[in-house]
Amino acid sequence: MEHINKKQVLDLANELNFTLSDQEIDEIIDEFDILVEQIGLLDHIDTEHVEPMVYPFEAPIAYLREDVVDHVLSVKDALSNAPKKKDGFVIVPKVVL
Amino acid sequence: MSTIVKQAIEDLLKIQPDTNACITIIEDPQSPLPSDSPLFGWPIAVKDNFVTKGHLSTAGSKILSNHVGVYDATAVLKLKQAGCVVVAKTALDELGMGGTGLTCFTGPVHNPHDVSRQAGGSSSGSAVVVAAGAVRMALGSDTGDSVRKPASFCGIVGVKPTYGRISRYGVIPYASSLDHVGYFTTDVMDAALTLEALSGFDPHDPTTIIEPLQPFASDLKGDLSGKKIGVFRNVIDHIDNKDTLALFDQLINNIKEKGAEVVDVFYDETLLVTALPTYYIIANCEATANHANLTAVNFGLQQPGEDLESIMKASRTIGFNPTLRKRFVIGSYGLKDENQERIFKKAQRVRRRLVEELDHVLSDIDVLIAPASSSIAPKIEEEDIDKLSAKHLISENYMVLGNFSGYPSMTIPMGSIFGMPIGVNITTKAKSEALMFEVALGLEKAINYKNNGKKVDL
Repeated sequence: MEHINKKQVLDLANELNFTLSDQEIDEIIDEFDILVEQIGLLDHIDTEHVEPMVYPFEAPIAYLREDVVDHVLSVKDALSNAPKKKDGFVIVPKVVL
Repeated sequence: MSTIVKQAIEDLLKIQPDTNACITIIEDPQSPLPSDSPLFGWPIAVKDNFVTKGHLSTAGSKILSNHVGVYDATAVLKLKQAGCVVVAKTALDELGMGGTGLTCFTGPVHNPHDVSRQAGGSSSGSAVVVAAGAVRMALGSDTGDSVRKPASFCGIVGVKPTYGRISRYGVIPYASSLDHVGYFTTDVMDAALTLEALSGFDPHDPTTIIEPLQPFASDLKGDLSGKKIGVFRNVIDHIDNKDTLALFDQLINNIKEKGAEVVDVFYDETLLVTALPTYYIIANCEATANHANLTAVNFGLQQPGEDLESIMKASRTIGFNPTLRKRFVIGSYGLKDENQERIFKKAQRVRRRLVEELDHVLSDIDVLIAPASSSIAPKIEEEDIDKLSAKHLISENYMVLGNFSGYPSMTIPMGSIFGMPIGVNITTKAKSEALMFEVALGLEKAINYKNNGKKVDL
């Protein structure tokens, strides 16, 4: 049966930009076994020649609208929740050293 | 401020200490906009994953605990234009990712009928404030039964219409292919009127249905004669609670007396047991991608750090609860290149098979019904369940079929067991809300149990 190890969990957490405690890592490893058993149920279903279903309905949704400015968010509004801002920019620590 | 709105605010403040249903109670709400809508003057609550202008809009997550909306979600705007008055933003399972009402950053939500029990989730707070009689209607969202299950646990009407019937613009997403805007009321007629006010194409949400919903509420009679009602046999067969089964049997007898034809319908069970795992895979994968933007750089509760990466890492570690982080890890695992075909795309293929089987089941009946939960709302301190049992996979979680298919589905109260309510779920074909409501009204009359805005004394 497929298992997940600590390194894999840590790598995934790192890619997701958060950390996990040792207890949380252990819980993920334990719960992963249940997940694998549940995924195993899907393996019993024949899906050969079956297209993935991405949305409930495949009705056409593409449309064109009039070229009229609508629903503008001002810079002030767009930045109103920014933790640090100045002169219309979001401030972060220097990225390029 | 009208007397009704003033009373609603007083009631919300009164129930808050025992239920913890609200994140924000708006004690100085905007006056209603002029409107000749039948919803004019209704005090309403809005689940906190809907962005509302000028108010906290947190999606129940610490990382958004300081986020104030700069615009109104379309659904909120429509209700305001109908003359509704928003008096509260309600608690939810964090980011909509839960089914208990216990994971909001503001703490667990308690059922107003029995505060030692959960309200269900994720639209827990919205269900509670309607069930307690504080507001006439509350917005929720339903990704895997998150309106329809709390409706059952709280004894009210909970509606998930056809996918695209109500705009999701301004709703902080969970899993975009499964998310539906839904809502709660105390009776079917209010629910019908609410749908008429909320529905419609929205250019800001390209998944909304272009054809308008034809008015239907004024034509509703609740006439069950000649309706062919399918009993979802697989769900019934895995319920071991005798009281639930007795209530459901009584309902069936009542509706037969009203002239409905009742038939048993069977769903391929090998397929049905995959519904919940399929949901977890698709939902976790989509949610992981959707919430990659919650970094606390442009908005959100930022934690200190020496560089950009450490700021994001600290903010996301502290900002998401441990259960959420675990689900993101699982979602990310399913999305990895080497796993995507056998996990994520496999789940999407199984989704299509599940929907095709639902089409087959619905083909010869008007609606499909079953108890919305196998039992009443669990105690908050309930013991662990067997996550691989057919009871958990089928009778507790079959309503995800409504999210996979996008078909309209609603829960209405079926009765009560030892004073705790339990609901019946009704599902029908796409865009057939008028039929669903006709049957729901008929069932409501046959059951003769309505919360009726009855205030629950706490």
